[in-house]
Amino acid sequence: MTRQNPTHLNRRKFLKQSGVATGAALATPWLGSRVFAYTQPIELVHWSWLAASDGEIWAQMIQNFNDAHKDKGIQIRMELVPEEQYTTKVLTSVATGQAPDFGWGTAGKSAQMARDAVTVPLDDLIAKSGLDLADFSEASVNAARYPKYGNQMYMVPMDLMSLQPLINLDHVKEAGLDPNAFPADEASLMAWADAMTKREGDKVTRSGIMMTGSGVQPTVTWGIVAEQMGFLRASADLKTACVNPELGIKAMEWTLGLFDTAKVSTRDVTDRYKAFGVGQGSIFWTGPWTLSGYMKQGLNFGSFLMPNIGGTQKTYFEMGGLELYTQADTGRYEATLEAIKWLSDNSFLWTTVGRGAAPRKSILAQPDYKTAGTPWAKRGAFIDGMDIATIFEIPVLDGPEFTIYSGGNFLAVTLEAVWAGKTKPADAMAQLQERWQAALDKG
Amino acid sequence: MPAADIIHPERVSDTPQKPADGVQIDWAGYVFVAFFTVPFFLFNILPVLFGGYVAFTEWSIVGAPRWVGVQNFKTALSDPWVRNAFVNALIYGLIIVPGVTCFGFSAALFVNRRWPLSSIARTMFFAPYVVSATVIGLIWVWLLDTQFGLVNHYLGYLGIGQIAWLTSTQWSIVGVSIASIWWDMGLAFILFLAALQDIPKDLTEAASVDGAGPFSRMRFIVLPMMRPVISMVVTLQMISTLRIFSQVYVMTNGGPAGSSDSPINYIYKAAIVRHEFGLASAVAMILFLVIIVVTVALRFLVRERA
Repeated sequence: MTRQNPTHLNRRKFLKQSGVATGAALATPWLGSRVFAYTQPIELVHWSWLAASDGEIWAQMIQNFNDAHKDKGIQIRMELVPEEQYTTKVLTSVATGQAPDFGWGTAGKSAQMARDAVTVPLDDLIAKSGLDLADFSEASVNAARYPKYGNQMYMVPMDLMSLQPLINLDHVKEAGLDPNAFPADEASLMAWADAMTKREGDKVTRSGIMMTGSGVQPTVTWGIVAEQMGFLRASADLKTACVNPELGIKAMEWTLGLFDTAKVSTRDVTDRYKAFGVGQGSIFWTGPWTLSGYMKQGLNFGSFLMPNIGGTQKTYFEMGGLELYTQADTGRYEATLEAIKWLSDNSFLWTTVGRGAAPRKSILAQPDYKTAGTPWAKRGAFIDGMDIATIFEIPVLDGPEFTIYSGGNFLAVTLEAVWAGKTKPADAMAQLQERWQAALDKG
Repeated sequence: MPAADIIHPERVSDTPQKPADGVQIDWAGYVFVAFFTVPFFLFNILPVLFGGYVAFTEWSIVGAPRWVGVQNFKTALSDPWVRNAFVNALIYGLIIVPGVTCFGFSAALFVNRRWPLSSIARTMFFAPYVVSATVIGLIWVWLLDTQFGLVNHYLGYLGIGQIAWLTSTQWSIVGVSIASIWWDMGLAFILFLAALQDIPKDLTEAASVDGAGPFSRMRFIVLPMMRPVISMVVTLQMISTLRIFSQVYVMTNGGPAGSSDSPINYIYKAAIVRHEFGLASAVAMILFLVIIVVTVALRFLVRERA
């Protein structure tokens, strides 16, 4: 009997077959993308982290686009990516040539992505697409630029979000306060907070001003009050960190006073959103992304402008927008910007129900802008309040370390030690000054 | 024709090939081994080696890593938050390891007695271990809530005031440890139970006949016989505790003021939040060394003596 066997594996066959298999595996995505990009309608891949009530409205916006472009050879496929993993995944996808076409970004926080060509500069593409920049507010266009990295626009502004106080109207009524005269300065704010706070002995059981012992809420409160007092995280030329540090220290003491002196807040709240929703707090400064959820929940609340606590009425401002990610096939950019232009032109739904104020004058001027969507009594402060929303991100590489709306960056962690009584305000300010100066020097 | 070829003709081809030089190589064996070794090399060994390289560079995924020598190690060793995370890891170890060992052992003793309900208890003690740490963390966030949590509610009946388990710097590490003990106890329990059931009944019965009470039987028979398992549980638990992450991330995110932070949570924040992969890798390498040192020390301390 001969020893012929067609399935016999020798070294040469093994290497040959392995080589063929590896080659085929490596070539498949390349072949696939080429074939599909040119023989089928364009499908733009969009990454979004919006997963709360605003996510539902955004999904509707994408659906509206797809319905309007059913037979026009362009569709958007949206993929949800958890927010905390978003940037890492974008960086990885760009590094491996698998980036989505566009996604959500927050203005001022992506200088590094602009420097490393992860995001695409948009000035020329915007000009080609016919998107009318003159229709956007000047602040929104400026916020989309990185002065240190070519000063081009790196996102198309979609909505402007300011932090304004929500107030539980049942608590207002219970305390016998006038719901038509919300507090506008520090004295009246503290008087209202005191009237609505509930205590058992020395212990606050319901916060007049909703706060947490750590994380975002005390950090952003400090940030707003400090800037109202005249403290600056960075000078206008982005060269000097911590301008007027003594005022930053004063703002830390003011925030500590909410817990320890005025006793209108408790550190014992773990989830501020839930706590306000179930009536465990009376005044809660937050963003417009919460409105839809509280409306659905049936909470009786209103909103008013951030009071003047420190001397100049100011509040925090965050801008959401759509940014393009670097592609191997640059021919996709134009189609992507066309899609973004459509989404921006049709962002009435997004800026009346979904999230913040419209950055576009033409949308703000529409006669039904105030009556459509979420009632004006609830969202009005977030639109009118854009005039005082001037506390913005610091557009440098380490911008995320400066943001006052964070629960885990260097600022938040440093301040947490102050709220916990482990670090003195002056020492915390010295730490911030050292770290932020190094960050500014970095570029 | 040989009989073997008639009955099992296919076996002929299984015979290793004999190349000209006379050395027999069975390539099929390499293929089978490759199913494990190739993915293991690609997804375990290679990332570890790459991590070791990245620790000496500055890198944020995009672009090539830039060689910075030992700068990341200097930064890590001088960063008070890194020190804080490692000190916390040791505190976690001091709470969780004895907690898991004692509770796991007690639970195993209870089930081994075969008292009524012990079969239900067996399932109950082991059940948390099969649930993901994230789910455990979320459940315990609610249970340990200062204002609405069940734990504080029942402590209130004992006259104990509200404890800020997760929101105070004094208690946060304890709060996370409670959840971890509850979660980790299942594995220790099952290992202890198996070891208890392996102890020959003759020994304990003989000791009883000789007048040994329960305490003496435990001290002179059960504990010595279980020493290898106790050693293994303590070592495995210490390694697991030094790598604690999910519970910390879900329950406190390391706060307040870093009071419940852990090395892996620090690494996560450095790498995934701040994109400082060089620093994150350096801290990971330091953690790796700490784990080796602690493991060797533990093996020495609780080793089986002749």
